Amino acid sequence: MKHLHLLALIAAISALPTAATAQCRAFVKNKCAANMLPYKFNETFNAAQLGPGEEAEVDLTFFSGQDYRLMVCAHPIIGEVNWKLMDGTGQTLFESLASAPKPSFEFKVATTQKLKVHIDVPEDKSSATEMLNYGCVGILVGFKE
Amino acid sequence: MRTSCWNLAPLALVLLAACGGNAPQQDTLTTDPVADSTQAERLRKTKNIFHNIPSPMETASLLKKAGAGYDKSVLNDVKNVDNYTSASKQALNLGIYGADLSYAGVFNNTQESMLYTACAQNLAKRLDVANAFGQETVDRMEKNRNDRDSLLDIISSTYWDVDAYLKDNGRDNISALMIAGGWVEGLYMATQVCKTHDTPELRQRIADQQYPLGELIELMGTYSTDDPAVSGVKSDLDALAGLFAALPTPAASTVTQENGVAVIGGGAAPAAITDDQLKAITEKTATIRNGYIN
Repeated sequence: MKHLHLLALIAAISALPTAATAQCRAFVKNKCAANMLPYKFNETFNAAQLGPGEEAEVDLTFFSGQDYRLMVCAHPIIGEVNWKLMDGTGQTLFESLASAPKPSFEFKVATTQKLKVHIDVPEDKSSATEMLNYGCVGILVGFKE
Repeated sequence: MRTSCWNLAPLALVLLAACGGNAPQQDTLTTDPVADSTQAERLRKTKNIFHNIPSPMETASLLKKAGAGYDKSVLNDVKNVDNYTSASKQALNLGIYGADLSYAGVFNNTQESMLYTACAQNLAKRLDVANAFGQETVDRMEKNRNDRDSLLDIISSTYWDVDAYLKDNGRDNISALMIAGGWVEGLYMATQVCKTHDTPELRQRIADQQYPLGELIELMGTYSTDDPAVSGVKSDLDALAGLFAALPTPAASTVTQENGVAVIGGGAAPAAITDDQLKAITEKTATIRNGYIN
């Protein structure tokens, strides 16, 4: 009986990460992808569960002559995520919370170049409990076909 | 401030590996997450590489915008689909057929789109990703076969689902091989089309592939080098990279507005390729790609 409980616990724990990413997939697909229209979004799944104070960086290649929409879509539970688009020298070209919050950025590049997206999840200052809120953050890159 | 890796936490992979996961049926293509000291690096690179590789559809779109015509002779023969018995070949060719499918779709060749959909679906099933690419997808495409825009949306969405499904199940290596196959096929198409349509625009598109190639090599390099399939692909890509010029030094960019749209100027574009480089890249890409499809 004891072993059965242990096996059930192991099974439950091992299923958690898969369930979390599956939820993340569903969140990005159901809540974010529609906002990319009429752009065709990149076929790569780029999403993860992030928590307060966490950050992530992602490199992207953009091709000259293409019209792009770049969007960072975060679950409201983790608060207002700030993200920046930076060039190869670290200079910020766009910041989502620089003025009024902007979830997406539409642009072209004059020459093909590699840019970096830096994402910051805010610290949870209001939390009076030990519980940390993790939520899905997805990055979608779309181009006009 | 903590820095997070995308995808699953290392613990997740350890637990998934312990439980067996959904391993492919033929060659294993598995890594040992516990023993693999570069696991965290791999996760980070997997995140990065996905963003750097243009989707097969974007590659096809770039070819079309560069003035290239449709040439079905460059596509992988649909009859080859039953020849792929190992998981590595299935993954590479799922990417290759996906690129062919996108190419046919972008150039509005419905009949061929349906054929390549069937091939890709066949491989998806054998790789145990039928949940993401099943018969209902094929039926939906059939229903929308005369609506090019819808067809392209379904193709994008389906490949997105396959990629997400693989990552959900800790099979990032299969995803990476699929991406590598799709990227190689895109470069193969571009170089083959360039033989009859050699324009500065198309040459620049080929030169531009230097950026995603570098990232793809980094991704493959973080997998266990004792896996012959993965290390073989990395060796192929290394050899290809040696044929391009050195990467440009990063340079400052500027943002201006043009008809209400932001235009990012400056930066550092890859150098144009010479005739000799083009010839060498064309030949090498064909050798690599033909090795994957045969």
